[in-house]
Amino acid sequence: MNKGIKASSDDIWKNRVDKVNAELFTLTYGSVVAQLVRDFKNDYQKVNQQLEKMGYNIGIRLVEDFLAKTGTGRCQSFKDTAEVVSKVGFKVFLNVTPQVTNWTSDGKTFSLILDENPLAEFVELPDDERAKKELWYSNVLTGVLKGALEMVQLEVDVNFVSDVLRGDDRTELRLQLIRFLKDEMPAGED
Amino acid sequence: MIQSLFILNRSGGLIYQHDLNDGLNKLSANEHLILAGTIHGVFAIASKLTPTAVKVSAQPRAQSQGSAVNGNTSGLKSIETDKFSMYIFQTLTGVKFLLVTDPAQGDLNSGCDTAENVLRKIYALYADYVMKNPFYEIDMPIRVDLFDRKIAELVKAL
Amino acid sequence: MSYYLALIGTTDNPIYEAEMGTYRQGGDGVPKFSAEMKELNPFIVHAAIDIVEDVQWRSNSLYLKAVDEFYGYYISAFVTPGNIKFLLLHETKNDESIRQFFNDVNDLYVKTVLNPFYNVNDPITSAVFDLKVKQLGKKYL
Repeated sequence: MNKGIKASSDDIWKNRVDKVNAELFTLTYGSVVAQLVRDFKNDYQKVNQQLEKMGYNIGIRLVEDFLAKTGTGRCQSFKDTAEVVSKVGFKVFLNVTPQVTNWTSDGKTFSLILDENPLAEFVELPDDERAKKELWYSNVLTGVLKGALEMVQLEVDVNFVSDVLRGDDRTELRLQLIRFLKDEMPAGED
Repeated sequence: MIQSLFILNRSGGLIYQHDLNDGLNKLSANEHLILAGTIHGVFAIASKLTPTAVKVSAQPRAQSQGSAVNGNTSGLKSIETDKFSMYIFQTLTGVKFLLVTDPAQGDLNSGCDTAENVLRKIYALYADYVMKNPFYEIDMPIRVDLFDRKIAELVKAL
Repeated sequence: MSYYLALIGTTDNPIYEAEMGTYRQGGDGVPKFSAEMKELNPFIVHAAIDIVEDVQWRSNSLYLKAVDEFYGYYISAFVTPGNIKFLLLHETKNDESIRQFFNDVNDLYVKTVLNPFYNVNDPITSAVFDLKVKQLGKKYL
């Protein structure tokens, strides 16, 4: 099944996705973050929150595009969800496939390791000491994941735990399943 | 021949209605809302009545043709009458697309398959022109000209 | 042999400077400017800005070669399209390798500008930039 996922998302990436210049994308996101930093007068906690909100709004919309384009069916387990997020979601929208790893034994929490981060090319955080401790530059991703998964009835908690921009040796997102939103499960599915 | 398209949000509210055949007698806005509400209710009841055997055989075919999977495995799928047919497609997020067409010719299943193809294309248009419109608010009525036009074009091209 | 590199912003404000020594002919890469030369370097380079502004309009290439000379020291210049001046103080003429050096420094400068947190004419404080410039010095000078 894994092979099938990879081949079909490669195909979708190649043939069914409109592409945009990578620098334009990176610079657009960069100027958004930099402007937020200026607007909130270097209150990085607020910037993180704001990026997450923006991401959430992207996620709840993007998920429809994702489902319509990729034809992904309902995942049978949270493990499946992790695979689909990495191999289809990230692949189709950002052309990267983060590693899925560090599962907890209850199967409810895992990490996504981003070897490459298209959002953060060229970026160096402001060297005012605090930025490297407080700002999660790519925090929009946490919101996107939360929003998108919530729309398919999965309530999750998503956080960055490390970022190469801060001098860590890898960029890691932690996803924790809080619960299946059973009440919101559409009728007509099992 | 496609007569009419309805879109229902997650909670069963009618958010879009488009008559695609000018020759029809129009229903009032109120009647549309009642119709949508009724379908939503009947759909939920039907899913409770569906025998397990049918559910199992109707598991969504993941990755089918690389386009949207119909999450509607045990709800009401179609209504056949002498005067019209109605087909229902439900996304994993719970949005329902209802297509009203002329009565199915011959094999009922083939009618379902064709309708499902059209509904998938409509879902793709919805993802592109409704969800990606930054000013559209989720679960609210869809008033997007471009979407109207794209739907009309799609139906015309069939 | 020793080199002194300065990047000058659009309002003649210095945004980056570095001293480098040669690695050629067994050099150890350590700059060997005398104490008074160290202090003089910025002034010599600064004095060359006027000449650069004169020469830049007469050339259609970004690299202006050696534009000034001061008691055996040459000053070579490179002006980016955005009017940021790269000035290098050096002891021997070597147009070709200095041209390559400037070109690569320009690439690094462009990457710096692409950083959303960097504004034009800000001092370049990035340690990565500093390191990469010094690596280029090792490669070309």
